Amino acid sequence: MSDTAVPATARPKKPRPQLTTYLLVIVLAAFTVFAARQIDLEWSSFIDMWTNPLWGRFWPVPWDWVLNRHNVFDALIETFQIAIISTVIGCTLALPIGFAMSKLTSPNSPTFWVSRTVMSIIRAVPDLFWGKLLVTAIGIGAFAGAWALTIFSLAVMVKLFSETVDAADPLPLEAARAAGGRHTPAVRTAVLPEVFPAYVAYALYVFELNIRASLVLGLVGAGGIGRIVETQRSTFNFDRLLGILIIMFVIIVIIEQISVAIRKRLV
Amino acid sequence: MIVFDDVSVTYRGGVHALRNVSLTIEDGELLVIVGLSGAGKSTLLRALNGLVPATSGSITVDGVEVVGASPRTMREVRSRIGMIFQTFNLVNRTTVMNNVLMGRLAKVPAWRSTLGVWSAEDREAAFQAMERVGIVDKAYVRASNLSGGQQQRVGIARALAQEPKIMLADEPVAALDPVTTHQVMGDLQRINRELGITTLINLHFLDLARHYGRRLIGLRGGELVYDGDISEVDDDTFRDIYGRAITPDDLLDESADA
Amino acid sequence: MSDTDVMIPDDTDQPVGRPERPNGPRNWRIGIALLLIVAAMWSWSGLDASLRDALEAPGKGWNIAKQMWTPAFNTVIERGAIGKIFESLYVAWIGTMIGAMLSFPLSFFGASNVAPAAFRVPIRMLFNAIRAVPELIVAMLLLSVTGLGPWAGALAIGLHSVGTLGKLSTEVIETSDEGPLEAISAAGGTFLEKTRWGMVPQVLPTVVGYWLFRFEINVRASAVLGLIGAGGIGGELVSQLSFRNFPEVGAVLLMVIAMVLVIDTISGFARRRIIAGSGRKIDDDDDSAAFEALRDLTGLGPEPV
Repeated sequence: MSDTAVPATARPKKPRPQLTTYLLVIVLAAFTVFAARQIDLEWSSFIDMWTNPLWGRFWPVPWDWVLNRHNVFDALIETFQIAIISTVIGCTLALPIGFAMSKLTSPNSPTFWVSRTVMSIIRAVPDLFWGKLLVTAIGIGAFAGAWALTIFSLAVMVKLFSETVDAADPLPLEAARAAGGRHTPAVRTAVLPEVFPAYVAYALYVFELNIRASLVLGLVGAGGIGRIVETQRSTFNFDRLLGILIIMFVIIVIIEQISVAIRKRLV
Repeated sequence: MIVFDDVSVTYRGGVHALRNVSLTIEDGELLVIVGLSGAGKSTLLRALNGLVPATSGSITVDGVEVVGASPRTMREVRSRIGMIFQTFNLVNRTTVMNNVLMGRLAKVPAWRSTLGVWSAEDREAAFQAMERVGIVDKAYVRASNLSGGQQQRVGIARALAQEPKIMLADEPVAALDPVTTHQVMGDLQRINRELGITTLINLHFLDLARHYGRRLIGLRGGELVYDGDISEVDDDTFRDIYGRAITPDDLLDESADA
Repeated sequence: MSDTDVMIPDDTDQPVGRPERPNGPRNWRIGIALLLIVAAMWSWSGLDASLRDALEAPGKGWNIAKQMWTPAFNTVIERGAIGKIFESLYVAWIGTMIGAMLSFPLSFFGASNVAPAAFRVPIRMLFNAIRAVPELIVAMLLLSVTGLGPWAGALAIGLHSVGTLGKLSTEVIETSDEGPLEAISAAGGTFLEKTRWGMVPQVLPTVVGYWLFRFEINVRASAVLGLIGAGGIGGELVSQLSFRNFPEVGAVLLMVIAMVLVIDTISGFARRRIIAGSGRKIDDDDDSAAFEALRDLTGLGPEPV
């Protein structure tokens, strides 16, 4: 583009928005209206919902029941146990698989493509689907939940981690190979130190995700505090339910604050 | 006419950016303000349109008091003062036209500006402003796709679209290369001459000040240390203002060669 | 330099002594590794499973995976699975729309460079509180009170999206360029005009990009909501699993995978178009691809420093 000071006198015409832009807006608006009708979204149902007398049964919270050790606390511990073990195993396995999934460090192209495909398929199945599937496969309980979250957090972690490895500096690896290093030791010494801080940060994220997921896994029978939520709901003890929800809320907020604080230190 | 009377600006934290500055500027003048960075050049301009509130003293623009003015009065005064920035301050993601139309905001009713329904009169003013700085062919180009010199001319056009009586230019060429620097300074000089707009320009380069200025204001540590005709200025004057000998860094053409 | 026989590559006169290997980092590493092992063992003890269970589990899983192949598409399609896939998409779309339309105006009141603390603090508390409640829980509450179908799921997703989108949009607004706002102030513009002409054009492409991210996440969420009876394809999975009709389960799963991948592809393409079309270099001030992927999956984001 030239930068001359000669005034260009011709005023350009205002470009008309393309026909496709108009079409896109119309199609999206129509789709929204159509979708709303398909799922019976109407104002009257909002009003019915707000005026429903059942909301009154959420109060007052029976704190003596909620805070009783056997009612909620044990299941809460189970939730943490599911989250911890699945994070530890998932993130440990993610280290080698993540390297295998990066263009930079993959040992060979079959490994690269197979690991990528398998992991993106796993990731396309939502975490609670894994919970439900594994409950059917190996039985109701925390064990199935731990398996589900291990699989899902592995798939999330390898995606994040392999993309960090993709962005790592390739030159040290080249140097290590030039010095005659075999593949694994070369990656270990030349790439791992650069990407390890990111790995730790992602592991913390994944832990946060796993806590959130394990709080609700019980709704599909996969253990943790969700199990209590499900039983209280099915027996219409809404007041107890609210108490459990408040506890879940507090835990999520605390975990997030801790995670944010640690990540700030890492960066 | 602009009158600064004993104006001081103290920032939170106790930095005295301006100390007891008194200054009278007649209509149609072209003033160049020089000084080291931190001398208060930018504060002087921003005190005039109230972007930085003066701590004490009085500033009047055509008889209207700016210090302590109500928001409504302040907006009215600002609508008559165009401002050009070192960093251009354009919205990069929208067109040149939309950027220039922002100069019309104070002149149109809120519903029009909110919905973007501009009158033919506003568009005409925007086009004329763009024509004056030679960027009308870029009217519907996104601002981010222009070069630095072109972006600064959009900035000037935006100020011109206000149909201002006063133009403030805060280091308008600091982010530009020498060639476009001269073009932009030339635009400002031409606008001052042709439209009779009172123009205040902050500059760092002394040779530019000499070349384009008529009246020179020197600031040092927030105090007015020089006010006079540019033709009477010599190297000693600059030494007084800068508190040190002139170095090649202070001269555009020298530092460009270096 | 002195004439010593020793070849030292620097200017010192003395041969350099070899430093001790520092112990600090190593001790830390060992400590953290031990902590993780102990935590994992404690967690294992709570799962109520023997080592044998653990060893048998992959076999059981594999058995079922084998039964899922070949998937029985015909049966599930006869039962209306395609319609349920679309129902999940409708729920996700409406939820995203509710979230976008409510969060966008609110997020301006949550941004420190726009709103005073009197607005900012409550709005941010609202966003954070909403974000902390899983949508599954919200949906469960709505369902158990109203007993109604998919719209309650859309409402739950929409509510949750207000929190996540609100937080992200607020961050975008806060990191926007102050220059244009100053320019509009200098031209005599009002607060409304600064927002409309200085802020909205700057932030809109990025914010719309986040809406699309959120839609991708909400597609997964709406599929999950079906598991607890909020309509859509999740319900079909539950009923097929309860009869242990594994070929049908396989078909449903493949349909879900296809739905998620297709939506991700379309939405990802649209996002790149929006960012590229906004005249911003893609890797300029954007987050790294990995962070993008993370936000993509979770709606959580790194805190701005």
